[in-house]
Amino acid sequence: MGRAWVFPASVSTDEILPGEYLDRRNDEVGQFAMAGIDPEFVGKVKPGDVLVAGPNFGSGSGRETAPMALQQAGIAALIAPSFGRIFFRNSINIGLPAVTIEATESIEQGDLLIVDLDAGTVVDERTGETFPIQNLRGTSREILDAGGIIEFTKLRLADKSKQPVKNK
Amino acid sequence: MTEKIIARAAGQETVRPGDEIWAVADRIIMNDTTGPRRIAGLIDELGGVRDRDRIVLASDHFVPPANIRQAEILKTTREWAQSQDLEHYFEYQGVLHNLILQESLVLPGMLLVGADSHTVTAGAMGAVAVAVGSTELATVIATGEIWLRVPQGILIHLSGQLSPWVEMRDVTMHLLGKYKADFALYSGVEFSGPFTEGLDLEQRLVLSNQGIEMGSKNSTVVPSRKLLDLIEAADIQQDFTPIYPDDDADYTVKYEIDVGELVPQVALPHAVDNLVPADQVQDGEVDIAWIGSCVGGRYADLRAAADVLQGKQVRIPLLINPATHAIYRRAVEDGTFQTLLDAGAVFQPAGCGPCAGLHSGILAADERVITTATRNFRGRMGSRDSGVYLASPYTVAASALAGRVIDPRQVSEGSKVA
Repeated sequence: MGRAWVFPASVSTDEILPGEYLDRRNDEVGQFAMAGIDPEFVGKVKPGDVLVAGPNFGSGSGRETAPMALQQAGIAALIAPSFGRIFFRNSINIGLPAVTIEATESIEQGDLLIVDLDAGTVVDERTGETFPIQNLRGTSREILDAGGIIEFTKLRLADKSKQPVKNK
Repeated sequence: MTEKIIARAAGQETVRPGDEIWAVADRIIMNDTTGPRRIAGLIDELGGVRDRDRIVLASDHFVPPANIRQAEILKTTREWAQSQDLEHYFEYQGVLHNLILQESLVLPGMLLVGADSHTVTAGAMGAVAVAVGSTELATVIATGEIWLRVPQGILIHLSGQLSPWVEMRDVTMHLLGKYKADFALYSGVEFSGPFTEGLDLEQRLVLSNQGIEMGSKNSTVVPSRKLLDLIEAADIQQDFTPIYPDDDADYTVKYEIDVGELVPQVALPHAVDNLVPADQVQDGEVDIAWIGSCVGGRYADLRAAADVLQGKQVRIPLLINPATHAIYRRAVEDGTFQTLLDAGAVFQPAGCGPCAGLHSGILAADERVITTATRNFRGRMGSRDSGVYLASPYTVAASALAGRVIDPRQVSEGSKVA
């Protein structure tokens, strides 16, 4: 359960982690999360909070440090009607759930949200509204459950039943 | 076509949209910002590089380095390439995506995976080129495999001829303005039609490159006779099999565009789909103009700018980063460089330049640039209070003459630039 931080549609990764910080290491980007849209964000967000946005959140550049910055700043889950596809993949790959629901307009800044991947729902405590989670099935859920793509790949490499693909 | 290429790479007869498959990456690409500095350790943790000959690495973002941090990244990248005895490592030679095409390191029918959103550019070659992040690329480098959800297909059928002073970039900007920046989200976009059949590789790459701004997973231009002739002329010592769409291929949407109806376009700050015709830009004063990037530093961009600037003088600084060093050389050798120099343009080294806001001409608060760069999100090329206008090389060059955003036909058709 976490408080909602609400952002508009089409927030790009250039705003989530500006180019100015591309020369930083993976582990030092948390302090710059959302610097391009709300420079005070990092000082306000608490561990376990949830970021809620309009469609196409994380569009543009495929910089993985964008979801890494949000995760390091304390964000526990992302909720939007859609995500930039590389941003989505990057989030899952680092173990940060990026959840799609049909519409996020009714969720307000500061609402307490319960994101339950097993139940497949997001519940807004203020309104009592329950949103079905549309994504995170199949491989993306397996990667998330493994804790990210590195752990997932180690499991896959160790599983002798997974024969290498033979292409044509 | 996307499905057929993915099926081949997955060793399956057929695949359908929504299927989740594992496929072998024929080519794996990365650069100095996404590459070794972030993933060398992860690759080792997963057992090391599986097939170094499939990897292409280019230092393009941090060349030339603007500070010590960037210099250290460049050094790390170079040293990793040496430690792996990498055959395909480029430094100061230009932008990864352009080098891949220039050196025929991608061929029709291939599945290419890369860490950089503009990886889709390689779709110009009739390949499926998919971008992932750094950590995932480490797994692809170590295992050779990637998981993909087979995308829904979108067909963009292009016909007609461009009017004078309208350029390839006006085609992709038109698509973004009309259908908006997420119209192809998660989809496999295919470009075909009579217009695409006449395009050279530099023209094709504008279509594939800008597919990422439309949200696509891959954006692939259907192979043409002309493309195959270009590959043959390049004398590639590698077999390949072009893959074409079936006549009865399923697409979720088909768009038909007559490019003859298009006019010069400008994307206003701060969105790639914030489009207006170039002659309707209000308060379009700009401080600087830049020609460069994977989509906008082509030889064709330099040539188009020279056609506008011939015998004239720019009113604001015009910086130019050719996308590759070979383009730079070609422009020097055929006089394009001299024409641009005489018009007041300033040349910088081949590479990404200021496109990602890293160095070589980034913007202070309240500054405005007009550019052929890839995208214009808030703060993309510097201060979050700066602004980026995107346009074709004709429009950028004409605006550099005027000091404000104008339609290139105002210059070329003899009317005086105010």
